[in-house]
Amino acid sequence: MSAELVTVTVDDRTVQVPAGTGLVETAQAAGIEIPVFCYEPRLGPPVGACRMCLVEIEGMPKLQAGCTLTAQDGMVVRTAATSEKAARGQESTLEFILVNHPLDCPVCDKGGECPLQDLTFRYGPGTTRMRFSKLTVEKPIPLSPLVALDRERCILCYRCTRFSEDVAADGQLIARNRGAHTEIATFEDEPYRSPFSGNVIELCPVGALTSTLYRFDARPWDIQSVPTVCAGCAVGCNVSATIRENKVKRILSRNHPEIDRGWLCDKGRFTYPSLRAPDRVTTPLRRGPKGLEEVSWDEALDTAEELLRSSAGAIVTALSGSETTEIAFALAKLLRQGLAAHSAVLPEATSNALDAFRAPLSAIAEAEIVVVVGDDPVVERAPIVDLWITQARRNGAAVITCSPMGDVRVPPGAATELCRTLAAPGNELGERLRRAERAILVWSGPGGGGGARLAELAHELGLDERPGSGAFHLPATPNGRGVAAAWSAAADADETNPEPIGLLVVSGDEAAADPSVRALAERAERVLVSTMFQGLATGWADLVLPGTGALEREGTMVNLEGRVQRLRRAALPPCPDELAWISKLAARFGVDVSPHAAAVYAEAASHLYRDLDLEEIGLRAQLPGRAPYEAPPAATTPAPEGPLAPSDERFVGELRLVRAHALFTGPAVERVDELRFQRPPAEVELSPADAERRGIATGDPVQVRSNGTSVALRARVNRRLIEGVARVPDEHAGDLHAAVEVIKA
Amino acid sequence: MPERPELVFARTDGGAVTDLEEYVARGGFVALAKARAMEPDAVIAELEASGLRGRGGAFFPTGRKWAFVPKPDRLAKPHYLVVNADESEPGTFKDREIMLRVPFRFLEGCLIGAHAIAAKHVFVYIRGEYEREFEVLRSALEQMHARGDLLGDVTIVLHRGAGAYICGEETALLESLEGKRGQPRTKPPFPAIAGLYAAPTAVNNVESITTVTVVFELGAEEYAKVGVEGSTGTRVFSLSGNVVRPGNYELPHGITLRELIYDVGGGVPNGRSLKAVIPGGSSTPVLTADDIDTPLDFDSLVRAGSSIGSAGVIVIDDRCCMVQLGIRVSQFYEHESCGKCTPCRVGTRWLTQILQKIEDGRADQSDLDLLLSVCDRILGTCLCPLGDSDAIAVASYVARFRDEFQEHVHLGRCPFEGASSLEGILAPSALHGAHGHEHEAVPA
Amino acid sequence: MSETLHDRIQELRAVYPDPRSAILPALRLAQEEHGGWLPPAALREVADSLEVTPATCVAVASFYDQLRLEPVGRRLVEVCTNISCALAGAQQVVEAFERELGVEAGATSADGAFTLGTVECLGGCGWATVVAIDNRHRLRVTKDDVPAIVEELRGA
Ligand SMILES: Cc1cc2nc3c(=O)[nH]c(=O)nc-3n(C[C@H](O)[C@H](O)[C@H](O)COP(=O)(O)O)c2cc1C
Ligand code: SF4
Ligand code: FES
Repeated sequence: MSAELVTVTVDDRTVQVPAGTGLVETAQAAGIEIPVFCYEPRLGPPVGACRMCLVEIEGMPKLQAGCTLTAQDGMVVRTAATSEKAARGQESTLEFILVNHPLDCPVCDKGGECPLQDLTFRYGPGTTRMRFSKLTVEKPIPLSPLVALDRERCILCYRCTRFSEDVAADGQLIARNRGAHTEIATFEDEPYRSPFSGNVIELCPVGALTSTLYRFDARPWDIQSVPTVCAGCAVGCNVSATIRENKVKRILSRNHPEIDRGWLCDKGRFTYPSLRAPDRVTTPLRRGPKGLEEVSWDEALDTAEELLRSSAGAIVTALSGSETTEIAFALAKLLRQGLAAHSAVLPEATSNALDAFRAPLSAIAEAEIVVVVGDDPVVERAPIVDLWITQARRNGAAVITCSPMGDVRVPPGAATELCRTLAAPGNELGERLRRAERAILVWSGPGGGGGARLAELAHELGLDERPGSGAFHLPATPNGRGVAAAWSAAADADETNPEPIGLLVVSGDEAAADPSVRALAERAERVLVSTMFQGLATGWADLVLPGTGALEREGTMVNLEGRVQRLRRAALPPCPDELAWISKLAARFGVDVSPHAAAVYAEAASHLYRDLDLEEIGLRAQLPGRAPYEAPPAATTPAPEGPLAPSDERFVGELRLVRAHALFTGPAVERVDELRFQRPPAEVELSPADAERRGIATGDPVQVRSNGTSVALRARVNRRLIEGVARVPDEHAGDLHAAVEVIKA
Repeated sequence: MPERPELVFARTDGGAVTDLEEYVARGGFVALAKARAMEPDAVIAELEASGLRGRGGAFFPTGRKWAFVPKPDRLAKPHYLVVNADESEPGTFKDREIMLRVPFRFLEGCLIGAHAIAAKHVFVYIRGEYEREFEVLRSALEQMHARGDLLGDVTIVLHRGAGAYICGEETALLESLEGKRGQPRTKPPFPAIAGLYAAPTAVNNVESITTVTVVFELGAEEYAKVGVEGSTGTRVFSLSGNVVRPGNYELPHGITLRELIYDVGGGVPNGRSLKAVIPGGSSTPVLTADDIDTPLDFDSLVRAGSSIGSAGVIVIDDRCCMVQLGIRVSQFYEHESCGKCTPCRVGTRWLTQILQKIEDGRADQSDLDLLLSVCDRILGTCLCPLGDSDAIAVASYVARFRDEFQEHVHLGRCPFEGASSLEGILAPSALHGAHGHEHEAVPA
Repeated sequence: MSETLHDRIQELRAVYPDPRSAILPALRLAQEEHGGWLPPAALREVADSLEVTPATCVAVASFYDQLRLEPVGRRLVEVCTNISCALAGAQQVVEAFERELGVEAGATSADGAFTLGTVECLGGCGWATVVAIDNRHRLRVTKDDVPAIVEELRGA
């Protein structure tokens, strides 16, 4: 479908571009800038609102908004550089924009990196002719705890509202009133609550929308940017960290067009302050008579050595899935090669079978049909994937979600069974998938063998043969696959299950915060924890070794597409990093582990990535090609789960508990006050029928019980939820069992 | 008295025909039958032959507009006919009378249009303030429903606006009809290709659509004999302002302003003299008493430096201060600016401020230059013609009544000294901006 | 929300190829049900019935003069002050209403009985001055007619 080339003349320079190319891009191809404010192709069709891009087109009597036109063969375009009329038009627009814009550039966060400032300097009138009072309004108001809005600075380019309406499709940020009174607002001034709210800060071409975490914190000329990758989830958005005096000051997107298209979620953008959490562990801690006490590194390593030696043969390791591949590989070498400790608890199952259907995430936008299975909404597991799906819907794709709240409503845990149904001949939805040239499958939820069940379906539907198609498993951890692969590459021996457990090695914050790891620790004699936050170690750790954050690490991760991406250290950690102490400890057991990520990578890559060179990964990593399909091991637990057996005769009408995976949870998120409003409320969601049966309405306080335990929550009636289910955010579900009773308090 | 052929208002005896039986008895729906017996292309050709041009303001040939709508076999999407009944241009009140007095002739035109462009859906976007007109149309539609053969497989939906002049602009109208803020879209794509719900759409004014029926009642050839070359047929002129007998008058294109104002309208009352005429609604450039013999047709008005617009003729006598007129007109556009594009949103407000300064006697010569310069900068830079309208109107007042503006500056006060007929002009008090927290800062 | 309003909004949705088109008529209905304006609760109801966000309803409602986000009096008196009506003395008509109703243009009387407004052209320029009372147009109103009109309104 390659478009024919057309010839366009811009300011007497001739260029050839594919027909339909925007005029702004056409001019760019000729090395000529058409200045813009409202134009942003990622937000959908141009709106032509700001009128900054006025150009003269031969044969058209009036100036035209260049951003709204596309290249036509023989078109002759004159920008302000060669057309007096266009120059006057542009000067007019700038004059009008500046009529109400305050001149507070010296104290504005945008100062120095402000398109309005730049364009005014280049094209603007030297003086003001406006002698009336400017339209003034209240100074900055919080749009949310994360975003501040300064309405006086707003030039009404509508980028933020278009993002909210068309890209995030959250319908929260709007323009209200009309004419000169138009202003950006939310409903009743409620906080702008969207997993993607921070993007409007980057979209704003002036200093009207700013980050509350960054405001007045730095000036553009005394900062550095470090290109790295977000480790908030398995998408691995490409980011750039703004650094000043070795502190991360903000996170900006670094547009990888196949992965994130320049969007970030608020978790990735705003959790960096957790690096400076008050309970950050910066020195080793050892359990003493008064609880955890600081010890020197020498003492810590001695203690670690002693713990490991005395527990040899009875060591279990709990991994987080957020380690870099290098940390996981180094740890595995130490434990497996040095101590034959082959037993590991991985955060989730992984499978390579989906490599046969590999596609860039951007392929979702071009799909004809997208089918999502699994219990969790996509946005909670891999937020950017949700934006790609929204984009697909806008492009006319059929998007069908199959979940307890989906378009096709299925009970929780039914995704495996559903895949079988879809694969069976004659299934209507399955047939649509078979017929589609570009079909996308997504598994968003627990279970499914790390994508294995989805791979079976994809193979059955023949997606391996169709390059525009793809299948994605959305893991719960950012690098679960890399960690699992690194662990298994470090040694050959089989896993043993020591009982009793002599030592539990807990690697990373997520493992340390995981209730099932905590449960395992109760069966362990001693516990060694590596974590960033003391709060996660208190009460159960015998030895704590400080952990680092992804922004402090060098290394690699494998994202959910199977793309190996490179992390770069944006800030020095306040302590030696994991590789430093693993390497020292390994030496004590005669294992050679380099303290340098690059060296560990080179060794791991020879096992894992066919010697893919670190330098080759580059700033925007390439996606490896598809692998031939290999049938994964068959499902071990046969689905589906039968009807619930009452756990206690006193309860009637039990519901199945769905532990909802929420995006804004986890140790790092919990340490950023500004993110609190994004966290899942302490609510239980019920279907209208189940709520009515129990006389429960939205907002009612309720008790959710299962044998022995009880949790107090508020009820929310969710019209989309299937009957027979009680949906509770994981962090509020406590120790509840699979079958619960919900009672009005 | 000029000749007054009644075509749009034919067979009403000066009253209203709101009963279906009566309309049929008076020859109603014969035109529809005639059109339906023709191929859509032939219907369009007949319209082109009649010379009918749009009555909404832009005077675009109706037949040609319909010819732009792709044939269903070329673009397999639903096609829509949207009727612009948002009539909000100051000085214009003709569509309202058409809907009240000849609702069936209007609806008959909708059905002919639907046939011509293969539309199964017709939406009539009627301004929210027109309560009675809405009820009359609703009743007429109900009567037509009772007789299945008339509507056939066409659905006509009456959609009420809610108070926004900009929704008369065709793309803003479509946005509003889609349930959005009524902000104009950039063109291209044009509505004929991607209009309502991104499907092929024709947007036509009430009077245009009603005249379509007339063309098929008379035949194109007969119709084209009325009026003048380039501006065929009649026009329903809305006459208002300082005139003895204001009201709507259906007259052939080409009658002169003098005939309309003096012979039909009875002249300027109270022995005052004519000072100015706005010939086509507030968006059109003002004419002076010297232009009184200008014929009211498209070409003649262009030659006179103005435009026929919506044919809303506003007569202004010698008591009116032209600076005050400018303020009131500019206030209107400022208030009605949708706020989407910069020059209109900011420029219309700025114009009002400068004009107010001149009226208050605080202006110097440079403010007068600034006024014209701001007009000039709005002109041709806006997204839609609303901003232009303000600039065109205000610039025309300065051009035609330069001395009066100059006098304000020289005297340092309004030369009318409180006796202007517009004295005490009041801007709309609409609640926009009340929701929010705006306040004016102290003057710089 | 009254079942009838919810049901009527569902009917409105069915009229249009895209249900979002029903937002203006739905807001109009809700406004009638809520005493002539749209309190936040009304916006939430409409949003719920149309499956859009309340913010979307504000974005739309705040664009249109006839949809109100602030309370209004039980009777709404709106005087056109655009050119033709102004040439006929609309200013004096407004002053007369201000006097008789004891309220300034743009405001609501203390007892909540009246809101007086000045508005843009009502499409009745040939019958100036036009006064809309609860959206019904009175034509050729002069300042001398105002006391009788107000008396009538107070009586009703
Ligand atoms: C600001 C603005 C307001 C307009 N208002 C109206 C209106 O109230 N009624 C109308 O018929 N056309 C109005 N128009 C013209 C329409 O955009 C469009 O040209 C017209 O409805 C086409 O119908 P016609 O070809 O039958 O004239 C307006 C145009 C602009 C720019
Ligand atoms: S000219 Fe005015 S009304 Fe038209 S788009 Fe621009 S702001 Fe809106
Ligand atoms: S960039 Fe073209 S109008 Fe804004």
